[in-house]
Amino acid sequence: MAEFKPYTYFQCPCTDTSFSTRRRIGDSGPSSEEETDEDERTFDPRAPRANYSLYPLEHLLYCEDCHQIRCPRCVLDEIVCWYCPNCLFEVPSSSVKSEGNRCTRSCFQCPICTAPLSISSTESPPEGLGAEYVAQSGPYVLNCAYCLWSSKEIGIQLEKPNSIYAQLAKIKNGGEPYISPKERRRIREERKGDGEESQGSEMTLDPNEKLDAESQFANLKAFYQEQLAESSPASALGFTGDYGYGSPGALSRIMGLYTGSSFGDKKSKSRSSMMREAQSALEGLQISSPSASEESIARLRASGWEGTCSTAQRLAQAHNPRFVSDLRPIAHLLRTKRSKRCKTCRHILSKPESKVQNTRFRIRLVAPNYVPRIAIRPLQPGPAAPQALLLTPLRPTQFVLTFSNPLFDDVRVSIATPAKTPGRFGSRVTILCPQFEVGANTDVWDEALREGGAGAGKGGEREKRRTKAEASEGQQQAEAGKVWERGRNWVSVVVEVVPAVLKVGEEEKKDEKEEEEEQEEEEGGGSRYAGPLREDEDILEIPVFVRVEWEADVAQDEGAGLAAANNKDNKEEKEKRELAYWCVLGVGRIARD
Amino acid sequence: MASSKRVSIMPAPKPPFSCAPNIVIADNASLTGTHPISVGPQSVIHPRTKLNSTYAPITIGSSCIISERSMIGLQSAPSDYQTKGVVIGNGVVVEVGAVVEAMEIGEGCVIEVNARIGKGAVIGKHCKIGAMCEVAEGDVIGDFTVVYANGMRRVDRGGVEDLKLRMVGRQVEVLRKLIPSNPAKFQ
Ligand SMILES: [Zn+2]
Ligand SMILES: [Zn+2]
Ligand SMILES: [Zn+2]
Ligand SMILES: [Zn+2]
Repeated sequence: MAEFKPYTYFQCPCTDTSFSTRRRIGDSGPSSEEETDEDERTFDPRAPRANYSLYPLEHLLYCEDCHQIRCPRCVLDEIVCWYCPNCLFEVPSSSVKSEGNRCTRSCFQCPICTAPLSISSTESPPEGLGAEYVAQSGPYVLNCAYCLWSSKEIGIQLEKPNSIYAQLAKIKNGGEPYISPKERRRIREERKGDGEESQGSEMTLDPNEKLDAESQFANLKAFYQEQLAESSPASALGFTGDYGYGSPGALSRIMGLYTGSSFGDKKSKSRSSMMREAQSALEGLQISSPSASEESIARLRASGWEGTCSTAQRLAQAHNPRFVSDLRPIAHLLRTKRSKRCKTCRHILSKPESKVQNTRFRIRLVAPNYVPRIAIRPLQPGPAAPQALLLTPLRPTQFVLTFSNPLFDDVRVSIATPAKTPGRFGSRVTILCPQFEVGANTDVWDEALREGGAGAGKGGEREKRRTKAEASEGQQQAEAGKVWERGRNWVSVVVEVVPAVLKVGEEEKKDEKEEEEEQEEEEGGGSRYAGPLREDEDILEIPVFVRVEWEADVAQDEGAGLAAANNKDNKEEKEKRELAYWCVLGVGRIARD
Repeated sequence: MASSKRVSIMPAPKPPFSCAPNIVIADNASLTGTHPISVGPQSVIHPRTKLNSTYAPITIGSSCIISERSMIGLQSAPSDYQTKGVVIGNGVVVEVGAVVEAMEIGEGCVIEVNARIGKGAVIGKHCKIGAMCEVAEGDVIGDFTVVYANGMRRVDRGGVEDLKLRMVGRQVEVLRKLIPSNPAKFQ
């Protein structure tokens, strides 16, 4: 069995609209109404929706203005810059729009295994004295150091060792020259401009050419744009551009539709009569040849299984090739650096340094700096390795939950769990100490100095308590209502679980329930208990509701000058803060019978 | 595990070792077992290489590079078809931490870091077994095959075998200068 590591996932409150944790100023505490409301609802970590709201603490952000946890669903992403992950070159967004989201320098990935390709000369390196001073000469090929693929296999050799993207754009597999859509447009325009005299450029475009999808689309588009422009000079402005819908031509047409008048009627009539369809490859017409499929079958016979590409290899290519010999080197996809904003108040939560090479952040409000971390470990150190530990059904097992406080203020933590975990197999859960205070995250040195100065002080007492806990470890006694262990900014409490029996049969379940005198589950009926054990259903997950309360220094926390000025007269005033959320503790797997 | 091996090395008799005079074998390479071990001319055995001939003989060709912490030879009792032991062809590079129990490894192969080749496997000429890849027991791999990722295979028709063999030869030349050799210790 795969090793099990205890985990804690936090639920972002944004997924729950009925949930409101407002910040209260001068409020005496949560109203009793709200408390009962929250008590009634139990978060079910196994509900299908829970998958989308549970995150490890490290994935969460915290908005200092809303005083709330923020998950990837309740932040807005903004692109700071685009860059190539291979050459770390920052690509301006304008060229991303025009050139696409791939590196246009010399960064390519192997079409077989996606490893980065390197360029090398096909000539064997010069040998002898002073060999390193001799410049290597072409032709060059792209090589994969991992799977040893080389662009030689698709018949591509390059003349220069740089600006490979531009070179590759002009070569078809096999080495024939390729006319890119851009080039086609240039030739077309040239031809149009020069009239019929220039035969040189016309020669390069064959009317019966086999086009690839991109060129065909470009040709078709150009053809129809031309047709539209010629047939209706009035809307020439409107339909030649890419953004035709906002143009005056389009507007007048729409106006015509609404008013029913003959706004554009005449024009449209004349246009329909004058339009013709594409007639050659130059205009984007491709006649499918009946022998095409026969050809590919013959090719398949010849090349065999090895000659075909895998699904992953096919998906990585724009032209959807069938055979390995049709693969093209893949230009590296660009990546982005993003800043994140709170969706509610639009404040920036995370902002990376805009330089690509710099991995630091200017702003980064991550949740682990605001929300207590919860660590789980079994109370009894088992004889075997702890990861191999399975929970024995019906045997009470104790776990130590350690809450560590990242804040610079003392916090009061209240935790609550349902008496029985939700799901088909309810395990009983008891928290021995549901309310406790956790010390502030003060400087470690401060604490050390204080302890040194006053040995019999608070620190000494804490030390004593810890040693007492260690001494009593042999007896394994955890007292109800008492904290198990306490440190500078952390507190451990004990939670006891009685794992359920993982029996799928209906009768056993009923028996067990009668023993436990649980009535509430009765109405669940047989269907809830039917069916075999589902994946990971043997993991004991405890939903825990955590409420953290503390008093923060207003002026210091707000930081902004305005707030400080407002609070100048009562600077000492403390603000009551509260944070409440569900989290899920995965403590272990229950042994099966 | 390491300690138990060390204990077993000390009292164990040296395996019969035959080699060409111009090989490079590091002082602290470990040769164990009772079956003969032979190493061809120009080959380099790095420090801490483990050649284990307890269950079957080991034959290493010429101009091979056997890297640190790699384990050559059967690690457990052989099945009846692998009596001639492990045969490594000429110009083979076995990289760090690789485990080679193969029946035969063809000329010019590269066994990359931490790759494992099971008992009875036959690897053709000029193959490359990628880092961390495994070749199952008794598997037969044809010439020019590249094994990469999680067992993916392809046949490399690059046609640069001679160039690669020459590169191995040059690497051997460099290593000769770097690794102090002590073949006498093992004879
Ligand atoms: Zn906010
Ligand atoms: Zn959220
Ligand atoms: Zn790049
Ligand atoms: Zn590759």
